[in-house]
Amino acid sequence: MKIVAVTACPTGIAHTYMAAARLEKVAKNLGHEIKVETQGAMGIENNLTESDIRQAHIAIFAVDIEVEGRERFNGVKVIQVPLQEALKNPEGIFAKIQRSV
Amino acid sequence: MTHGTSTSEQFVFSCSLSSGLHARPASHLAEVANEFVSQCALTNLRNGLFANLKSVLAVIAADVRHGDQCVIRIQGPDEQSARTTLRRFVEEALPEYDTPLAATGTVARNTTPPRVLQAAAVGCSFGLPVSRGIAQGRVVIMNDPVLPSVSSAPTGADPQLELQLIKDAIASVHKRIQEKLNQPISPSGAAVLQAELAMVRDVFLAEKLTEQVAQGKSADQAVLETGEFFTGLLRHSESESIRERASDIEEICLQLLDEIQGGVPRAVVELREPSVVVAETLAPQQFLALDRRWLKALVLEYSTTTSHTVIMARSQGIPALVGVKNARLVLLPGREVVVDANRGFVVPQLSSSVQRFYKREQKTLERRQEILHRAAGPTTTADGKTLEVAANASSSEDLVLARENGADGIGLFRTEMLLLRREDAPSEEEQFAIYAEAARTSAGRPVIIRTFDIGGDKAVPYLNLPAEDNPFLGYRGVRIYAQHQNLVQSQLRAILRASSLGDLQIMAPMISSLEEVFQFKAGISQAKRDLTLKGIAFNLNIRVGIMIEVPSVAFFLDQLCAEVDFFSIGTNDLSQYFFAADRGNPKVAGLASVRHPAFLSFLKEIVTQIHEAGKWVGMCGEMAANIQHLPLLLGLGLNEISLPAAEIPDIREKISRLRVADCEETLSRAIACRRTKEVDDLLESAQPSQTAQPLLSDQLVLLGSTSQSKEEVIQEIVDAFYIVGRTDDRHRLEEALWTREDLYSTGLGYGFATPHCKTDAVSTDSICVLKLNQPINWGSVDSEPVRMIVSIVMREPQNSGSHLQVFSTLARQLMNEEFRDRLFRVETAREAVTLLAQQLG
Repeated sequence: MKIVAVTACPTGIAHTYMAAARLEKVAKNLGHEIKVETQGAMGIENNLTESDIRQAHIAIFAVDIEVEGRERFNGVKVIQVPLQEALKNPEGIFAKIQRSV
Repeated sequence: MTHGTSTSEQFVFSCSLSSGLHARPASHLAEVANEFVSQCALTNLRNGLFANLKSVLAVIAADVRHGDQCVIRIQGPDEQSARTTLRRFVEEALPEYDTPLAATGTVARNTTPPRVLQAAAVGCSFGLPVSRGIAQGRVVIMNDPVLPSVSSAPTGADPQLELQLIKDAIASVHKRIQEKLNQPISPSGAAVLQAELAMVRDVFLAEKLTEQVAQGKSADQAVLETGEFFTGLLRHSESESIRERASDIEEICLQLLDEIQGGVPRAVVELREPSVVVAETLAPQQFLALDRRWLKALVLEYSTTTSHTVIMARSQGIPALVGVKNARLVLLPGREVVVDANRGFVVPQLSSSVQRFYKREQKTLERRQEILHRAAGPTTTADGKTLEVAANASSSEDLVLARENGADGIGLFRTEMLLLRREDAPSEEEQFAIYAEAARTSAGRPVIIRTFDIGGDKAVPYLNLPAEDNPFLGYRGVRIYAQHQNLVQSQLRAILRASSLGDLQIMAPMISSLEEVFQFKAGISQAKRDLTLKGIAFNLNIRVGIMIEVPSVAFFLDQLCAEVDFFSIGTNDLSQYFFAADRGNPKVAGLASVRHPAFLSFLKEIVTQIHEAGKWVGMCGEMAANIQHLPLLLGLGLNEISLPAAEIPDIREKISRLRVADCEETLSRAIACRRTKEVDDLLESAQPSQTAQPLLSDQLVLLGSTSQSKEEVIQEIVDAFYIVGRTDDRHRLEEALWTREDLYSTGLGYGFATPHCKTDAVSTDSICVLKLNQPINWGSVDSEPVRMIVSIVMREPQNSGSHLQVFSTLARQLMNEEFRDRLFRVETAREAVTLLAQQLG
């Protein structure tokens, strides 16, 4: 499955990147293709392009704050979870995706 | 003089004292006015209040606050010289009486104790810390002396008799204060007594008392009503520091009452064990009566940062809090409490967790001191050159501030204050006491003592200095020494005696010719001979230097270098003499800019010549205290700069970021400029870039931590930042970490937690690693206890060399099992730093 994701936390120093690392690793283990955009203190990195988003089956928002450029995801199915969920139970997020797609 | 018309002299001044014309400056002003026969009056243009300038009380009651415009009118036979002297005094000398106390007095008031104490559920009482420190003792409640509202015998039989009673009482109180002044006393204690003395002999007070007695009142009643009148007047003031003087008046009136009623002493509180004295307010006399051996801390419900009691507490190192609401109700007599006058609260009981907290706190403070002492020494620039950063001082309080701010010594110890505000010359012993204190406090670092720099603009009654029309070009500084040999000799002997206790050096003010240097040195030789004859120890090789304040000295520096050991440039006078422009006259002050290219060129020439002769040169004028000037000062190649102590940490930090090579270039370009404005623009662009300090240091790796809770861990991290000097505001750093922690736990599972924050309470981006001996609960996502803490603190606003990339790499690495294992297995701080440096690039 092709997945895009956005991570963002209040301070943007630690959890944004921890969650991104975690999602990337678990996705890989489950055989998914994933690209994670981080919206942290360094600004937006690993930008999701229009074509990334168009090709994705689903988008994951693991965020505690508003996602920047949310309108980019119009027309894509989005699952939004608190960022902590990506650390606590990332497998659970992917299981939920499997069920919903 | 024209017949039939009355002339008068007047001028307007603007009060530059930050706490207004409070008791001390007012008493000096009155002292100067009392030198003259003419009537002197002040009108405060803001509130229209009018005062006889010769009355301290009247001046205080005029409620002159910072920025107020006042007119001073003088009328009488010596009105012209009175005008000149008063004007000089107001514009030049008065600003020196501004208390430098604000530096420690304006500490922000905390409203929450550290989380460790919050968790211990002790309800702390908050106050404003005015004398720092932490102390423990049992509560002793003291009640204020209160003036009874009515005397037992309100009417007097014979006005003449009652008046005599009052006169006698004033004379005895006057004498008693004078006696205390003659005993060894700290300069701040002396200042208190001097201000009281001024009140006792105040003409306005005497007038009021006489008036009351003339109305048929008894002496007691007259004192009571007069006291009420004045306290009412002062309590009405809009300035807090003036309102506070009401208690000084009450104190004086109580002493007068004691005298009138036959000298029955008031009950004195006796301390018998380590005590914390708790009171509504505490009069200076009450404070002085307390047994210093047992007085550990003061907690006052009212009082300001500048009260006399507070000043004395600070100079004696007694922790004090003011503005502690309902302290006498909340703190129980006999109960053991901790006064934390670093943070600003009293802990009302000593549970085991409170004791544990303060035990850890004591270790933190000790380690911080160790690091500060180790860090002392010349500050190094980014390209490895050194510059000593010393402090200017004129009192015990300044010496303490200098030490606290890590000064490399005292570059200018002004001694004029010892001469002012008194009726006779200070004794050699009195002088020795303060110089000895300077030597001891400075612990081996140099202290440059400038001998008396007085003259027509500073009133010193017992020297009978003539009033001059142009005192700055007149009889001042070293020029008066020949006529006042005794005074100068007593000062030189006092300095020499104290030179056996530390590195004291002697510096002469206002040197303009070689003859003056010869005479000055002859005076020192004389003092040395006298001490040798008496068998008194002193430093035989004491260094002798001169101030560079008069432009003429720049033209025979080679001869001077052969005669003296060092120089210190006094830019304030040097620039006004160089440009022939009075710094005190706003119309021309702008001409005397120390940043004018011609002046910079002049300075460069002076420093170059002195260095060619192999001698040492520092700078102690205001030019050295302006952080914007640092590129120029480093470009000049000075050996030392001396400035107010509170500025030192910032200045040091900036020096470490500048390169001397760049500064020399900046100075050359500044000298080539045509106008001061161009130099200003140049300086604007010559400020250093922020180069980042390392993210990690061994001292921020805490292996084997014995913390027992999340609160203690975060406190330990904050303390580590404080110890290495990366934060001065532990409260704000702690709050920033907890604000993030309170959103949701930073426990990321696998036994790891990452408390983090963005804050301007730290000087630089940092990582702190802590490994616990015993795992603790952190509310982690996997509910497992935590043993390894990696804390990330980012400075905000960001420095240009910010470490965002490193932080995000670290965050990602923490998700990597192999990295976590390696970090968990490190055994030394060095290993941890190396591992992180490798992994994070």
